[in-house]
Amino acid sequence: MDRSTAPEIGPLTLVSALGRGLDATFATLARGESGLKPHTTAGGLVCAVGRVSGVEDVVLPRILARYDCRNHRLAALALETDGFSETVERLVRTFGAGQIGVVVGTSTSGIAKTEAAYRDPAFAVTDALPASFPYRETHNVFACADFTRRYLGLKGPAFVISTACSSSAKAFATGRRLIRTGICRAVVVGGVDSLCDTTLYGFQSLGLLAAKSPRPFSADRDGIAIGEAAGFAILAAPGVLGDGGGMWLRGIGDSADAYHMTAPHPEALGACEAMSAALADAGWRPSDLDYIHLHGTGTLANDAAEDLAIAKIGCHATPVSSTKGATGHTLGAAGACAVAIAHLAMREGFIPGTTNTLARDPLLQSALVLQGRLSPVRRVLINTFGFGGSNCSLALERDA
Amino acid sequence: MKAFIAGIGLLGPGLANASEGMAILRGERAYQPTALRAPEARGLAANEARRCPMSARYALDVGYQALNAAGWTAAEVATVFSSGSGDLDILDKNCRALARPPIALSPTLFHNSVHNAVAGYWGIARQSRAATTSLSAYDDSFAAGLLEALMISGDGPPCLLVAYDLPPPSALAPVRPVTVPFAVAVAVSRDRPLTPCVLVEWEWRPCDLTESGLSAPDLEALRLANPAARCLPLLQAVAQGASTRVVLPYLVDGQLVLDVSPIAGRNANTPIHET
Repeated sequence: MDRSTAPEIGPLTLVSALGRGLDATFATLARGESGLKPHTTAGGLVCAVGRVSGVEDVVLPRILARYDCRNHRLAALALETDGFSETVERLVRTFGAGQIGVVVGTSTSGIAKTEAAYRDPAFAVTDALPASFPYRETHNVFACADFTRRYLGLKGPAFVISTACSSSAKAFATGRRLIRTGICRAVVVGGVDSLCDTTLYGFQSLGLLAAKSPRPFSADRDGIAIGEAAGFAILAAPGVLGDGGGMWLRGIGDSADAYHMTAPHPEALGACEAMSAALADAGWRPSDLDYIHLHGTGTLANDAAEDLAIAKIGCHATPVSSTKGATGHTLGAAGACAVAIAHLAMREGFIPGTTNTLARDPLLQSALVLQGRLSPVRRVLINTFGFGGSNCSLALERDA
Repeated sequence: MKAFIAGIGLLGPGLANASEGMAILRGERAYQPTALRAPEARGLAANEARRCPMSARYALDVGYQALNAAGWTAAEVATVFSSGSGDLDILDKNCRALARPPIALSPTLFHNSVHNAVAGYWGIARQSRAATTSLSAYDDSFAAGLLEALMISGDGPPCLLVAYDLPPPSALAPVRPVTVPFAVAVAVSRDRPLTPCVLVEWEWRPCDLTESGLSAPDLEALRLANPAARCLPLLQAVAQGASTRVVLPYLVDGQLVLDVSPIAGRNANTPIHET
């Protein structure tokens, strides 16, 4: 076990409401546009959502027919973007399929398939799902790692990490462990969550859905919009990628709030510990950071707690922004989105703005970037905080 | 790689706690899969206890057993929660609510539906902000959780694995054949604990060895009836206190291989569970 070595984050892909692929994502971010659109559910709930266009048209390989559901179509769309599946093929040829693991974060997996099955008129008759229903392949929480592994032909260990909105950030922690123990040379790490009624009506029941669009860190913020996204990255031991992306996973901070199932700790203790632990793991001081990609969901309590945590760890002067007004809150995929956006910020030398937010809440202290601007970015902290008080921060660095 | 198992927690049909379960696995007592003790959600305030779902009650119960056996403080211990399917009772209630207009979800059932709700209740009950993760690998979730706990403890603090699954409600029974409730906790550490323990040398490897099972037919049936009960060959090796190789399948292509051996000088009958 080599505890000193930082794994490299190599080729990435992201599909979200911002667009298909890294270049489309950056173009939308650079224009300061939002991918959110008004949406009305079949049951009449009106809200904004970040929908990915083209998911309906994805056709899965025939051998994976039983896996067909929106969540896996979204995953497949991402795997076929930015040359990602070809990159994995090259790694398999070099190292063998057994040396490559899969760790995927998701919150609701393919639950929309089961929601639809409960609405099917046949369910009212039998009061049970038919034995032929592909629960294991579509909706079970492990299904998206199972699908990704089969789709890419990998044979290393596979996990789904499901810790609500911190899922795919914590997936990077598991990926790093697989590399440091020598079990894997490379790991496909990602996050996938797709639109479903459970999360739309669930966040509505908690009073956390924005009436129109989310406005993170603004004084009149009134909640989140839900988005869907799939993002993947190759995490690899040093030297494996050769000319990789040049981004390193320097630190991980992982904590629990131990306070409440949905409300953040009022003194932001869990968030502070996650951010401080990521900085300590990287060996960085707060002033070393060029940018913090906020969790920044746009709810009153979450943004206030995150702002407090940033001040407490001494990062009040660090530029911060939230992209949730552009992508929506992609829940279990939020960490994978943040890593891809951090990569783009480093690649382009560009700090994204806080889409939809016109002015910072005067009660908050962070150095909020409202409009995207050119600025060298080398060291980034990303935050993810989820239900159950589940926090994870990642410290990422680009080669000088 | 090496690790020490410092504590076990257990709850399943005919296995009221780790002490009773280990005696049965040593063959000192007959296995009678009869009464099932109700799990205890110790440490929660009344309002949290009222909202705490059955899956979390099982996890809290066995986790507390193993933590006590190891003599550890929760705040110093990382946790891994592993389940093949999460809480299907909550899923069933939510899907029924979403299928029937006017649609309204219960906020409590919604936040309890996340896979890591169990971890959230653990943190609140034990007042622990320590690192935690929640994962799944379907029927191989015990092996996956144990691999994660071994990796975490190999790189830092001791780690408590809690694995659990419950039978689904009738609407989901045709698609998820878990027939009995079962929960297990295993406390692992890199450094040799002061308390009684066993040594485990472990590796993940491509699939080439025969999967471990149990010779007693009723215990073997239990092993196959719940993903968390896939732990039983490991628990039997720990209980018997002899050097034993345990092979846990992990997906079709891999295995977690565990060579369990008693610590020299240790009385094989010294329990590593609460008595």
